[in-house]
Amino acid sequence: MSGKPSDSDSSLVVLWRLFGLLRSQRGWMLLGLAMALLSTLSGIALMAVSGYFITSMALVGAGGVAINYYTPAALIRLFAILRTGGRYAERLVTHEATLRMLARLRVWLFGRLVPLAPAALVELRSAELFSRLRADVDALEHAYLGVLIPLLVALVVILVVMATTVVYLPTLSLPLLLLFLLGGALLPVWMLRQSRVPGAIVVTCNETLRALAVDGLRGRAELALYGAEDAHAAKLSAVAARLRQAQRQLDRLQALGSGGVMLAAQLAVLATLLWGVAAKGGGLLAGPGLVMLVLFVPAAFEAIAPLPEAWAQLGTTLASARRIFTLADTPVPVPEPGPPSPPIDRYDLRMRGVRLRYGAQSPWVLDGIDLDLAQGRRMALVGVSGAGKSSLVGVLSRLYPCEGSITLGGTSFDAWHGDDLRAQIAVVEQRPYLFDASLRDNLRLARPEATEAQIQKAIELAQLSDYVASLPQGLRTWVGEDGIRVSGGEARRIAIARVLLADPPILVLDEPTEGLDAGTVTRLYAALDAAMKGRSVLLITHRLGGLAKLVDDVATMQQGHIIECLPVADYLNRLTLPETSPTR
Amino acid sequence: MTASTSSWLREQARPTHRLLALGVTAGVVQAVLLCFGAWLMAHMLAQAVLAGRKLHELWPGMVALLVLALVRFTLGLWQRRMTFEAGAQVSDNVRNALEQRVRRLGPDWAVQQASGDIVTRSVDGVQALVPYYAGYLPQLALTALIPAVILLAVMPADPWSALILLLTAPLIPLFMVLVGGVAERASQRRWSRLRRMGARFMDALSGLTTLRLCRATGREEALLAASGEAYRLETMAVLRIAFLSALVLEFFTTVSIAVLAVLIGFRLMWGTLGFEQGLFVLLLAPELFLPLRTLGTQRHRRMEAAAAAEDLITLLGTPAAETSSRPDSAAARRNTFATRQVALTFDQVSFGYEPARIVLEDLNLRVDAGTVLTLVGSTGSGKSTLLNLLMGFASPQRGRILANGKDLATLDMPSWRQHMSWVSQRAHVFHGSLRDNLLMAAPTADETRLQHALRASALQAVVARLPQGLDTPLGEHGQGLSGGERQRLALARAWLRDAPLLLLDEPTQHLDAATAVKVDIAIDALAVGRTVIRVAHRLHALADDARIAVLADGRIVETGRVADLRASKGAFAHLLAADRAA
Repeated sequence: MSGKPSDSDSSLVVLWRLFGLLRSQRGWMLLGLAMALLSTLSGIALMAVSGYFITSMALVGAGGVAINYYTPAALIRLFAILRTGGRYAERLVTHEATLRMLARLRVWLFGRLVPLAPAALVELRSAELFSRLRADVDALEHAYLGVLIPLLVALVVILVVMATTVVYLPTLSLPLLLLFLLGGALLPVWMLRQSRVPGAIVVTCNETLRALAVDGLRGRAELALYGAEDAHAAKLSAVAARLRQAQRQLDRLQALGSGGVMLAAQLAVLATLLWGVAAKGGGLLAGPGLVMLVLFVPAAFEAIAPLPEAWAQLGTTLASARRIFTLADTPVPVPEPGPPSPPIDRYDLRMRGVRLRYGAQSPWVLDGIDLDLAQGRRMALVGVSGAGKSSLVGVLSRLYPCEGSITLGGTSFDAWHGDDLRAQIAVVEQRPYLFDASLRDNLRLARPEATEAQIQKAIELAQLSDYVASLPQGLRTWVGEDGIRVSGGEARRIAIARVLLADPPILVLDEPTEGLDAGTVTRLYAALDAAMKGRSVLLITHRLGGLAKLVDDVATMQQGHIIECLPVADYLNRLTLPETSPTR
Repeated sequence: MTASTSSWLREQARPTHRLLALGVTAGVVQAVLLCFGAWLMAHMLAQAVLAGRKLHELWPGMVALLVLALVRFTLGLWQRRMTFEAGAQVSDNVRNALEQRVRRLGPDWAVQQASGDIVTRSVDGVQALVPYYAGYLPQLALTALIPAVILLAVMPADPWSALILLLTAPLIPLFMVLVGGVAERASQRRWSRLRRMGARFMDALSGLTTLRLCRATGREEALLAASGEAYRLETMAVLRIAFLSALVLEFFTTVSIAVLAVLIGFRLMWGTLGFEQGLFVLLLAPELFLPLRTLGTQRHRRMEAAAAAEDLITLLGTPAAETSSRPDSAAARRNTFATRQVALTFDQVSFGYEPARIVLEDLNLRVDAGTVLTLVGSTGSGKSTLLNLLMGFASPQRGRILANGKDLATLDMPSWRQHMSWVSQRAHVFHGSLRDNLLMAAPTADETRLQHALRASALQAVVARLPQGLDTPLGEHGQGLSGGERQRLALARAWLRDAPLLLLDEPTQHLDAATAVKVDIAIDALAVGRTVIRVAHRLHALADDARIAVLADGRIVETGRVADLRASKGAFAHLLAADRAA
């Protein structure tokens, strides 16, 4: 798995890597292919033998020599059974293989993405990129069923047809091969090329329509107030019309593709008839053979029919695979040292000259931070938005790489494995993520083995008791996308309960009161007070307010620097005009 | 799919019946041509095999076959074109209906759609309707018609074969309904599980940072593997049944071809059937089952359309709130409003979104022309509602709101709205350029006015930073604006609008203190000479001589100057204390 795939990587390399990932499922994949071949070839053979059989019988009826009709009749029955049973088996086996791959792929991708989050994963921040990632994973999962199987089956069928014609009517081989290529490869590939422009228009138009829909909802008040509703509707119609035109082009191309395969099949039959009758006239081909070929050829084209779709999917699959591999191959931003993490007995945190920026050309967000947080001290870090406060959280949780030195209990951060470090330094995020799971599972996230009593205690300390009691299903209540909506304040308190369960010696709180109304904030203070007992605390906020009661020191941050660090009393005394002070 | 979804989907097809009928007719004609082609082929083969005809004797038939193939190809393209237009028309109709619907439901409803999820889903949903009308629906009709055409063609050639096909063909839909009912339910369950498992995976990715912070990634990975395995076992159990319906179809198709071939063969040997007839039947037999098989591959289109329809029905069927619908009578349209000065009077105004949830009750308030009134009150006290009533997004259930003595309810709404500007907590940035975003407030404004508005709202620096200046695309696909810049954008809109009434709904709520101060300065400049109602939350930042009204429980409980009220220990002083504690 070396080498970073890029657009220049050949399609074969990407496909090879994709199926290489799924090497463990090779048995199932091959079995599925075998079943697909069995059922397809049986179907073709059924038609061919039937044609051969009835022509022979007709010749007998017309006064010819008696023949052994048991064998072809038995073959017809055999192929019918193989065709039917084979198709059923094919469906089951290919789906079994797909499901196995799906599980494997997701676990693989998850494992690759974990060390990248969040520093190297822009994808997860933008809704659009995220949904593209989702579509990419879906596309990869259907690569086997939608691309590999139809392409290989078609290939084998063409080979079988060629072999058969070489035996019965060698002159027919070339015209048939040309028609197969025309209907199964040239036409679909040409069609794909032609589809590129309208396809791109469809994508942009759909994005614009979505954006306009959001405008029509979020901006409805502005639209109504500024009398712009008609203009908005007109814009919508115009984009829809453009979309329609592009879709019309695509639909025509698709019709051309599928119609083209059918036309190729009919031309192939015609060609068979032409060469066959000529050969028959020349005594090179017997009647039964002629009819057999005429029935055999269109049956073979059934394996060609799915090709236009398969080619189209191959394109998306390759694009998806390239994107996914590029993402998965992103260098890990914060390399993990091997175990063990150093043993410590003090939890003093010390930062010296810590610098961080998000890109090689970007400005420094942290520009030489010197900060000491002695064990058990509580410090507030204040500063206007954009001063770099939240970036400090990323550095302290060892999710972002930084320059300078950070030590915990005298040991360098670099010697710590991230997970071990995060057991010492827990973070309450500004926007904690709640998973689509029960409330209990969300609480136990940092400590799955927590007992019921511990959970109850954490809930109580986080001031969540009333909230949990108000839920009809209590801790079993489902939260997240499929469950109840949780307000910002509730989510914050759930995150605090999470951290209380984890019981870390150092606690980092990122804007714990941001965006909450006064009542909620008051309740939160009690929760925070409980959470902070017996721990070192770094509390990050742009609005100190009542939080002043919870801390010992206040450090002020400005443009990536700590400009001062004072005991909280001194800090407050210095604010001569609290009414208009910028921190108020 | 529920009956109502089904009937809704059918209902939408009504305006396109002609197109669909043309498409289906083209399909039927192709089937007739197919039968003719099969006969031609059988005839020629019989001639070649039994009568020993040579190629040069058979060429007219060959040419005819070629022409038939080309005609069928052309008809096929034409059929697709007709049915595509049908699908396109339906989706256009539904999209327009949606836009009309959202418009009627009004801003008040729109604001409540917190995630906007249902609307974005509806965009994709409208798209999902196209394949249903363009593909599935015509195919459904053809599945009934094409086998009938083929049976009619087989009948005169060989009644016995026709009988066998007649016996097996209707059995297929029957069995498919029997098995398919089970299978469809099973496969729907499967889809919803697949969706849920996919959701779980994406959920884990969205929360990856939280997972890392909680040191739960290893566990999550194991869980993902386990859930994938459990899902596989479960799904395979379902699929074993689900695929039975396909098996039934396959079985009948294959077995009837096999039986036909064997029977035809023996009758040919006994001389009771002509070779040409026998071959003709054998050529046509697979075609009898083809439409049904095609229908099977399109079933997902129906499922997707049905899922989309459910969302769309919900949206289109949301009852328009009484509060937002106002009489759009001709009388009101003539009663336009035109003035440079606006004085407002709330006369015993009561309002509730639902009868049980009264927001404003018997509210009385006067705002003189050219004065600034600041509204304060705790969350949910009805401050924003009051602004909504003024903007005409909702109408009072009782009482009147008078503008210069005219009742708002009798006014032409668009002309009334031209007299106000509004800056909300979070101004919306529309898809389009910065210029588009500004000009929507005043489409006729010239460059001079535009520049003035930019200067006045301190947006010039932002414009200078943007790569294409005023024409830089904004929004999700373009440049982002920070919270403060958005608010300044809203202020610039207000400058352009230059309206006598200015409504400010906590315009600095989501800004940090330093930015808020800058925006406040721009607001003060804008307020000069206008009637201003401002909803405020930064009670400490209020100037001593500002005139305020305190809202509580749907009424104005206090009015007066900040300095006086602060000293009076009343409702305002109470709010102030609560705010200080936070």
